Amino acid sequence: MREFIDGAEAIARGAFAAGCNFFAGYPITPATPILLRMLRELPKTSGVGIQGEDEIASIGMCLGAAMTGAKAMTATSGPGLSLYSENIGLAITGEVPLVIVDVMRLGPATGGATTVSQGDVQFLRWVTSGGFPIIALCPSSIAECYSLTQHAFNLAERFRAPVFIATDKEMMSAQQSVNTDAFEKIEIINRVAAPAGGEFVPYQTKKLADIPAFAPIGGEQLTRLTGSMHDERGMLTKKTSAVNKTSRHLWQKIQAHRDELEFTKLDAQEGAATLVVSYGITARSATEAVRHTRAAGKLASSLIIQSLWPLPKRALRESMRGISRVIVPELNFGQYRQEVERIALSLDPRPEVIGVDRVDGELITPQEIEELFGRG
Amino acid sequence: MISTIDPRIMTFEQANLAPNDYKSEVHPIWCPGCGDFGVLSSFYKAVSEMHIPTERLVVASGIGCSGRFPAFVHAYGFHGTHGRVLPLATGIKMANPELVVVAAGGDGDAFSIGMGHLPHAIRRNVDITYIVMDNEIYGLTKGQASPTSPVGMERKASPYGTVETPLNPLLLALARGATWVGRGFSSKPKELVELIKQAMQHKGFSFLQVYSPCVTFYDTYDHFKQVTQPLPADHNSRDKMSAMKYAMSDETLYLGVYYQEERPTFDEGYAAKRAKAHAENYGVPQILSRFTR
Repeated sequence: MREFIDGAEAIARGAFAAGCNFFAGYPITPATPILLRMLRELPKTSGVGIQGEDEIASIGMCLGAAMTGAKAMTATSGPGLSLYSENIGLAITGEVPLVIVDVMRLGPATGGATTVSQGDVQFLRWVTSGGFPIIALCPSSIAECYSLTQHAFNLAERFRAPVFIATDKEMMSAQQSVNTDAFEKIEIINRVAAPAGGEFVPYQTKKLADIPAFAPIGGEQLTRLTGSMHDERGMLTKKTSAVNKTSRHLWQKIQAHRDELEFTKLDAQEGAATLVVSYGITARSATEAVRHTRAAGKLASSLIIQSLWPLPKRALRESMRGISRVIVPELNFGQYRQEVERIALSLDPRPEVIGVDRVDGELITPQEIEELFGRG
Repeated sequence: MISTIDPRIMTFEQANLAPNDYKSEVHPIWCPGCGDFGVLSSFYKAVSEMHIPTERLVVASGIGCSGRFPAFVHAYGFHGTHGRVLPLATGIKMANPELVVVAAGGDGDAFSIGMGHLPHAIRRNVDITYIVMDNEIYGLTKGQASPTSPVGMERKASPYGTVETPLNPLLLALARGATWVGRGFSSKPKELVELIKQAMQHKGFSFLQVYSPCVTFYDTYDHFKQVTQPLPADHNSRDKMSAMKYAMSDETLYLGVYYQEERPTFDEGYAAKRAKAHAENYGVPQILSRFTR
């Protein structure tokens, strides 16, 4: 049926479809609509929804719950993400499955609470100390808010890691008529449970890139975690061989699987010299610009990025091959453009990379992108 | 005298473990003579005497010397971020109310960086026990003044003496509405075992301050031995005014159960909320069908 809903509603529905049973969050515009829906719906299930006293507490509660086996989600915006930072590090090193929605608004600091932005793209990548890889998905439609939220839970479960949904104020607050029957249902993946019996070593893996089996707090096996650098037993260590192993494992577990983490939508036109690379709300303008350009009889290609991090290198490289100009429209100063430029450097012939940057709180219009297609 | 005993503690299949069975394979890294050793051994004894199975027991902590506590206990352990033990413990308890959750840490963790969480854990009456090992100094970072350090403390980070008034943790917990408040001393293990047991048996948020001197940076053993004494026999732990009166005493520092009362716990409150929500006859399938019909 057709329904008039916003992205926040679709994310909440996607979370429930994925089996989310724990949410804690702190009110913040423009992420509050997600909190409202979760706190309204979770008590109707066996799940738990809590309004924390602040962002640090909210993500902390999610971490505690997730380690008992819960599928936890929290949602915030830039200022709250800053406060999440340290506990995101704890989720990375403790290998805690968790979904974190960042509804981007204009920064820095309080910035523009009701103002759209895509300014957290690199902030999400380097969100905590240590420089370890993270996974971030980015929906550009209401339907994708639903499907990518399910993917986010699946990836969090599979990789035992925090997974981000990078979205923005317009995606969350703008209602739109959508066919909810066409929403994509994703097969749900749950974290691999540690086998019963025998000696359980919480962070033991065969290979560095493997994900350790999970034993919940309160389950059959005594388990422990620490935010400190630890050995396979989850015990604090300074032994270089153990530290090296844990560090490299946290790197490898994402990096070695990066090809499987590429979610993109390519709409390539044979012979097109210009490609627009876009994500999130901006992808809508890009799509419209491409449609209009083609309608005018010109060639145009589009790559929409659904997984911002790890950088979908393969899709970017493939789509840019033979292209002479790449347009990257963003609601920031070119945070993703610099990644695209780095890929472009490795290509021969090397495409020119042009940005459309907008930081005034308004969206990039299709016309702004279309003009660049028209040139040259 | 305990009037409410957490039913969950009583309904366990009782473990029959010696205090030593609760020791992990890791030996504490604390300085020889640290008060925390006394707290840890009292804890082993308390959980042993309460027959708590290791697979029901969670010890969570933040950061600091005392924050290393979970590593030394054979139970589920969660060594989290500095000052954030209460949110972590709240999440664990709310996601699995069947667990016995103990939060442990020091005065820096509890009253400085983590102070923002304490009133809210109290307000929610989360059914956990918070053991704060108070040495009135930062030990792990090598001797800076803490929120409970006395005025005039001269240390490397306060070379001209501190000017901040120390805060009174008991008074604070009482004022915020904690449903169980007590104070112990690491050098009084017999009494401390009893206090830990009572705190853990209390249904609701129990706040136990334990003087646990730091031999290296602020040796207060003699001081506490001189100024501590049990709460007077006429103190009624149901009388908050009396509890506050004794908590305000700064010449003599009283040990014992200051206050206890019963109030619905956070998980009980949530269960009531859930019953209200269920009255609308909603479950996940209903929600999803409404969402995707």
